[in-house]
Amino acid sequence: MDKLIAVIKREYFERVRSKWFLLSTILGPFFFGVIFIVPMVISARMHSSPDLSHIVILDATGTQLGNRVARTLAGGITGEASRADVRAVTPSTLAAAESTATREVMRVNDPMLGYLVLDSATIAGTAERYAGRNASTLVDVKELEDAVRRSLLAQRLEQEGLDTARIRSLTAVHLEMKSERLTERGREVGGLASAIFSYVIAFVLYMMLMLYGQQILRGVMEEKTSRVAEVVIASVSSDTLLAGKVIGVGAASLTQIVAWALSTAAVYRMRGPILSSFGVGSMSIPMPHLGLVAGVLLLLFFVLGFIFYAALFAAMGSTVSNEQDVQQASMPIMLMLVASIVFVQPILLDPTSTFSKVMSWLPFSAPILMPLRMTLVQIRWYELTATLVGLLAGCVFVTWLAARIYRVGMLMYGKRPTFREMARWVRRAA
Amino acid sequence: MTEHALDIQQVRKSFSGHVAVRNLSLQVPRGSVYGLLGPNGAGKTTTIRMILDIIEPDSGTITVLGASSLRGRVGNRLGYLPEERGLYKKMQVRRVLRFLAELKGVSRRDADQRIERWLSRLSLTGQDRDWGNARVDELSRGMQQKVQFIGALLHEPDLIILDEPFSGLDPINAQALKDIVVDLRREGRTIIFSTHLMDNAERLCDAVCIIARGEKVLDGAIAAVKDEHGGRHVALALGEDRTAADAVAAVLGDRELVKRLDDSNRTVELELAPAASAQLLLRRLLDAGAVVERFELVQPSLHRIFLDRVGAAGVEPGMGGDG
Repeated sequence: MDKLIAVIKREYFERVRSKWFLLSTILGPFFFGVIFIVPMVISARMHSSPDLSHIVILDATGTQLGNRVARTLAGGITGEASRADVRAVTPSTLAAAESTATREVMRVNDPMLGYLVLDSATIAGTAERYAGRNASTLVDVKELEDAVRRSLLAQRLEQEGLDTARIRSLTAVHLEMKSERLTERGREVGGLASAIFSYVIAFVLYMMLMLYGQQILRGVMEEKTSRVAEVVIASVSSDTLLAGKVIGVGAASLTQIVAWALSTAAVYRMRGPILSSFGVGSMSIPMPHLGLVAGVLLLLFFVLGFIFYAALFAAMGSTVSNEQDVQQASMPIMLMLVASIVFVQPILLDPTSTFSKVMSWLPFSAPILMPLRMTLVQIRWYELTATLVGLLAGCVFVTWLAARIYRVGMLMYGKRPTFREMARWVRRAA
Repeated sequence: MTEHALDIQQVRKSFSGHVAVRNLSLQVPRGSVYGLLGPNGAGKTTTIRMILDIIEPDSGTITVLGASSLRGRVGNRLGYLPEERGLYKKMQVRRVLRFLAELKGVSRRDADQRIERWLSRLSLTGQDRDWGNARVDELSRGMQQKVQFIGALLHEPDLIILDEPFSGLDPINAQALKDIVVDLRREGRTIIFSTHLMDNAERLCDAVCIIARGEKVLDGAIAAVKDEHGGRHVALALGEDRTAADAVAAVLGDRELVKRLDDSNRTVELELAPAASAQLLLRRLLDAGAVVERFELVQPSLHRIFLDRVGAAGVEPGMGGDG
């Protein structure tokens, strides 16, 4: 037991002390921050150009519609209309005014995005025209159209004798679509947010299994090629060494996850100041609530998944003696991991399909895909239990297999063994 | 307490059809320095690995310090220096040593004290630099070997197994190692080392076992081995006298006089032919005009015995005679 602890301590502290660990632990939250914040900044940009009111309005209607549109664009009656350049023109001078405006907009340094033409057809409620640099931005055009429609409506209502305040209250319609996901289990609040959250969790699990798995593989190979293994195996059994390695590296990866979770939570709390420094207003991102049970389950899936993959990576590491073979040796394991992550998308789209269910049950993909489904839809307790039992059985089998390959592989040098040879090692050791 | 630190009986080990060790039996007396000699591929390392329980023999028994299994405490009384040195390259020297000590059940406090003592004894800490704080891969080969040696001794083992301890060491470090081996023996510990350097073995060992092709060729105390080998040997050194070179060569080439000759340039070790005497040889050499600087009746060297008994046939194909 003391020897196992000695091995665990070495694996854990040598990793935690490394520059790589320190750097990735510190940079992790930035990385996740970027994952969270960049889409928000981008989507905020997509809402509309921030200076949409920087346009020329050519008002040939002979009414005050131009000024009204300018006010609407600037945010209603309280907003300042001065940013939009409203020019009253007559139908006969409209063509000349348009060519002037075209020249102005085409000057690169000009702040004006484009020009909007309001004429008798607009008053009739049939047409308006817009020409500008952002004319292909759908959201911008949509917003302009909406502003003209509301202004026209307000003008018509005023002509019908309604007072300004009444019109304002009647036309103040700012609709925002909130999407909700309906499943057989009912309403899922914040469908999109929970999908992003699930995706992040699945991705982090995948990343940790892959990065730390590769580290184990390389570590084992180094121990073998530098012949440390021989010294160590003269003191502890290969099983103890393998177990210590998996536990030690697993603990290091958990340390990193916990550090990341804490600092990401901190970034999330401080998102207001961070976002506003990017010029984006703080918005509420509905984070799905992660209960204690779900947290424990996530941890369980990670731990079991880690044991499953770490044991395999270690076994494979014991079969290689040089850098060139590493890629080849890790291929079968990487395939299993990649197979799990490529099915994240289809499962996100339909977490209740038979395919999604089966993928989340299989021991090799369960560590990534079951947590994903868990955060998307409610999973019945017996399904969770069965998956965990299956994964546990998978772990027992894989470690049994890995220990046997490892025992022989660690002291074999030279040519990489074929799978048939490895099967023979397993049989002989059993 | 048994008389032998190590007792190997009829041990056999094969790897996929190739027999590495064939029915090997040997006993190592407690408190002795024991040499395991043989060319490359003779089965020395396989034997050592079986003693350490790194691999299991196909048949036969190995009793180490009176125990038939290394599981439990006996394992902690063994120290091992592998042939190809193995240390964690990226680890700090002190941490590696502490880890190796912990694997043998030494408490951290004891380990730290002993590490300091050994580092200073092997001049790894000193005025110029404290190598204990350096990473292993910053050390020279010789220094790494010293660290490895410390790692094998930190838990104060009763039986120490050194696989080719002198390979790659400069004379100063080799001497330091030999001094330690002698000290360890004085403390009553048993040291087994494998080597292909016969000079080292001859000077250090109380007893030896020569193996070739997985089989024991001979074993026993050095004196007994030499007596048993028999033959009358002469160590001869001749001065530079070119004019007599041919006549001297004719004398040494006379099969009636000299049975076998091993010319090492500065000295020649030769075995007298059965009918010849040392007197006769000396007279013939002087008559031929040789300038004799040394003429000594000696026991056969271990080197000579090794060559005689193992010969070219004992060397695995493709394995040079340096092993």
